[in-house]
Amino acid sequence: MIGRGWTRTVVVDLLRHWRHFAAASFGIVLGVAALTFFLALGLKARGLLVTQVFPQDYLEVAPRSADIDLFALRLDLGRDALDPEALAEIASVEGVDAVYPKMRLTVPALASGGESLFGSGMLTEIVADGIDPELVSDEVGDTFYEVDALRMSTPCRRDDQCDDVSYCDVSRSFSGGVCRPYIPVLVSPYVVELYNGAFRRSYGLPKINPDSLVGLAFEMEFGASTFRPSSLPPVRERMRLAGVSDKAIPLGVTLPLGEVRRINMALASPEAGDRYHSAVVEVGAKDDAPAVIDAVEEMGLEIRDRGARRAAFATAVILFIVALVGGVLILVSAAHIMHVFYLVVMVRRREIGVLRAVGARRGDIRALIVAEAAVIGFAAGFLGLVVAVAAGAAVDRFAAGELPDFPFKPESFFAFTPTLLASVLALAVIACIVGALPPAYRAASGDPSEALAGR
Amino acid sequence: MTDRCPLCTLARRRGTLSRVIRLENVRKRYPGSDFDVLAGIDLTVESKEFVSIVGRSGSGKTTLLNLIGGLDGDYTGVVEVDGRNLRDLGDAALSAMRNRKVGYVFQAYYLLDHLNCEENVAVAALFARRERLRDRSKARRRAAEVLEHVGLGGAGRRRPTTLSGGERQRVALARALFHRPAMLLCDEPTGNLDTETGAEIVELLRSLHRNEDVTVVAATHDETIASACGRVLRIRDGRLVNGPGSGE
Repeated sequence: MIGRGWTRTVVVDLLRHWRHFAAASFGIVLGVAALTFFLALGLKARGLLVTQVFPQDYLEVAPRSADIDLFALRLDLGRDALDPEALAEIASVEGVDAVYPKMRLTVPALASGGESLFGSGMLTEIVADGIDPELVSDEVGDTFYEVDALRMSTPCRRDDQCDDVSYCDVSRSFSGGVCRPYIPVLVSPYVVELYNGAFRRSYGLPKINPDSLVGLAFEMEFGASTFRPSSLPPVRERMRLAGVSDKAIPLGVTLPLGEVRRINMALASPEAGDRYHSAVVEVGAKDDAPAVIDAVEEMGLEIRDRGARRAAFATAVILFIVALVGGVLILVSAAHIMHVFYLVVMVRRREIGVLRAVGARRGDIRALIVAEAAVIGFAAGFLGLVVAVAAGAAVDRFAAGELPDFPFKPESFFAFTPTLLASVLALAVIACIVGALPPAYRAASGDPSEALAGR
Repeated sequence: MTDRCPLCTLARRRGTLSRVIRLENVRKRYPGSDFDVLAGIDLTVESKEFVSIVGRSGSGKTTLLNLIGGLDGDYTGVVEVDGRNLRDLGDAALSAMRNRKVGYVFQAYYLLDHLNCEENVAVAALFARRERLRDRSKARRRAAEVLEHVGLGGAGRRRPTTLSGGERQRVALARALFHRPAMLLCDEPTGNLDTETGAEIVELLRSLHRNEDVTVVAATHDETIASACGRVLRIRDGRLVNGPGSGE
């Protein structure tokens, strides 16, 4: 004890009462093992969902909504747009390769046309947004691009007098027209599915092949609406479908970003050109996605990603429940530790009196008890980790030999990360220390003479 | 009052001895009790005195020692040790006083059976605030030295459970002397020993008093110890009964 002093005293005290402490530690071992096992399983599942099942190399980021229902209205008290500073902040997050802003059309619009497809023309209110063509260049090639819609070039009377990407606009002159560029648009596969699934049945129309839509031309009148009259003259443009992309707005059409910015500034306000309703974030490596998601959410933004978001939420809920169960197990064990320490302190009452008589302060006695609890927490926690890792290895071995191959089947079903192991170990130590505090204070209370008398 | 320490008397008269313990109208009643175990004690002990407090079981001897040693803080009156009122001292200061200045010897030894003799003797080093006393080799040397002093030179590695009663009390005495205390408080040091062993312990105490310049206050019902002491105080029903100012 001399020199090694406290360490040996603590170890010797623990060994003297090892039966009591072993019984009390059992719960800690079990709790730590269960918590570690299921958290490692959950973390692995979350990682698989985020990086493989729902690969999140592109994340749509938007301001976090704060909706409050007030009678028939829903008030959004959150911010509704991203400014260039917010985009720059997102771009600075580690793991982010690029940020593509998206801008919603903030004025009403009408779409008309479709005679070649439906047999007769149709007129409908339509919503639209704009994206950077670079975002979809891999999907639709160079068919979706920024155009200068104001450019007036070759005079014409018919479309065939213009080039492939222009049409002859005769609406602005009585004496003849000029060639103006088509504005390329994208639609979402959901629009096609909606048409083929429900819309066509209601109107007795044929099912369409999405590929046949490419090249379909129609007109849009920005600032016009069947609901209410516009105070400004509407802007009429001719659109041409450039392709189908899941990065397009789910219901409506997606235009090149510059076009939407121009229309918003012209028909809404000059400031509307700097207000983006969301941004698509390109993540360099899929494994970086969870960290990028965390960083973006810390900025007060949210991820709008359907499958991955739901999966991440589901795994988060499962992780929370598992952590709660494991935490409760550890808390119950801490209560057990407390009872055992009360017992041990009572048994050692006279011994504590001797220590006080030779100069131990109340704090020394408390420190002695707490140190013993910390050692128990560390030892039991470590044993719990070993049990969890061993159980995980057994499950992996079973899965490798007995389970058939299935998509995304991993080599290991568990993510025993150093952070996880250290955190659970720290939790076990803290739980034991907290459990031992009341008995430690009890042991240090009263006068030494009371302890010596066994009172 | 019987004074068997002529040198102390002389020194006191010359004023070369300082008061190390002073009690003034000290009263103590245990919770739930309907009488005072100490009923107005006035006592002064000079430095390097050997005082015995003699009384029957339950007369208040142990309580009195506990108050002097700062082991019990629940009393009325004044208890001063080394010029400091114990009531004014907090836990840290009281603990430091017990650690540095006071050595206890208990009737039931109160050795820690899970430690060997050397460790028992040096247990106070765990709580020493001075680096000198926390030093591993120095503490070990000092423990061996005091064990040698009490006649247990080779017993450092033995467990207390392997020792006789007399040997255990010697280990307890060595533990009390480990820090070279200024004051040794002995509560029935021969109470659990046979006559011959008890006489050995008494002789050891006398020897320590002579050679170590330590103030000894021993509570006992054993007249053998009393006869070996410089001054004998008798306590009955919580009062010193040697007469008015008997403590003086």
